[in-house]
Amino acid sequence: MRALIAAAIGLAAALALVLTISAIGAPEGKTSPKPLLTTVPSAPGKITQTK
Amino acid sequence: MRRKASLVLLALAVFVGALSPLLRWYAFPRLAKIPPSQYQEAVLEAKNATLIDYGTMQSKTVPKVTVVQTLKGNVEAAKEIEKSAGRDVVVWDTLSFVQGPDGKMVSQIPERYIFDAHSQAPVHATGEMVDGDPVQRKGIEFKFPFLTEKRDYEYFDFQARTSAPIHYKGTQKFHGLDVYYFEQTIPWTKVAYPKKMPLPGIDSSTLEKTTGTSLWYTTTRKFWIDPVTGAPVNGEEVNQEEMRGGTLLGGRDKVTVFAGDVKMRDDYVSYTVDLVKKNRVLVLLLTSYLPWGFLGLGLALLALSLWLEARSRRPSDPPPAVTERLDPVIA
Repeated sequence: MRALIAAAIGLAAALALVLTISAIGAPEGKTSPKPLLTTVPSAPGKITQTK
Repeated sequence: MRRKASLVLLALAVFVGALSPLLRWYAFPRLAKIPPSQYQEAVLEAKNATLIDYGTMQSKTVPKVTVVQTLKGNVEAAKEIEKSAGRDVVVWDTLSFVQGPDGKMVSQIPERYIFDAHSQAPVHATGEMVDGDPVQRKGIEFKFPFLTEKRDYEYFDFQARTSAPIHYKGTQKFHGLDVYYFEQTIPWTKVAYPKKMPLPGIDSSTLEKTTGTSLWYTTTRKFWIDPVTGAPVNGEEVNQEEMRGGTLLGGRDKVTVFAGDVKMRDDYVSYTVDLVKKNRVLVLLLTSYLPWGFLGLGLALLALSLWLEARSRRPSDPPPAVTERLDPVIA
């Protein structure tokens, strides 16, 4: 009986943790202020236009 | 005391053992999603390409044509669509900007691509478009779903504005990654003129109607996909565009507008591979590393718990033997 209770506690804790993490999810962030490019970048991430 | 320890270990074993399937089958489908705020650019080049000179309406070989593709996640638009869609949505505003060897614009086509953040299934909402024209996509575009399968997918072609199968053609090694190679061929198709073209004084949206000259396009699209993230680590398009018929060509049947093998620039290949290698670890954590690790740890804890329980039940050492002292019998 005590073994069953211990197993149930473990299972409940796992469920609670996973449900909480899933509910929180990942942060959404903000729309980037960088423009859609109409110039060719010299290297990745090196944006020269100021549009 | 051993009994208590074995019960605690049993609870821990069930805890981590249960985390294994829960992470893989419950948390992963909910947590793995394309961030709505993503911003990414890619540069592709076609060397020794054929390009039309709109001044003379003659095509000529040029040293290089460059395509700059930018995609920007529109978080506000995504939130608005999520209210009616009832699921996590990503809105990508993209621009394909084509630049000639002289640095001048050849064409630019904006798009709005709306899709489910988890499955990448298309979501149809107001604002979905290609070059300002409303469209309803079928299948995927730009990226493949997480855990890409070895099968054909429907892929949307923004020039033809239709979807066609993109075929899985095998697994290859690319910069140390096992990637899936996909290929799609769009046969010669009449397409709309881009709204922004270097044709001063001419409205490209009415060009075909006024001149009878139509634009045709064919391409073979190649993608090398990291199957874990579904992200392309390399892309290539063997592209051809022609103007056909009408009064614009001075009596000729057709003129090549563009012909070239468009490949991702080397620095962008390296950059993309590095980015994908970093991102795939996060996906693998939820699909492989943590589930298998927790399963192993759970089994080890269970074994330890059972061992302690067995030890606690072992009969204790026998008591020391009692030697009965016999009193001497006195007669």
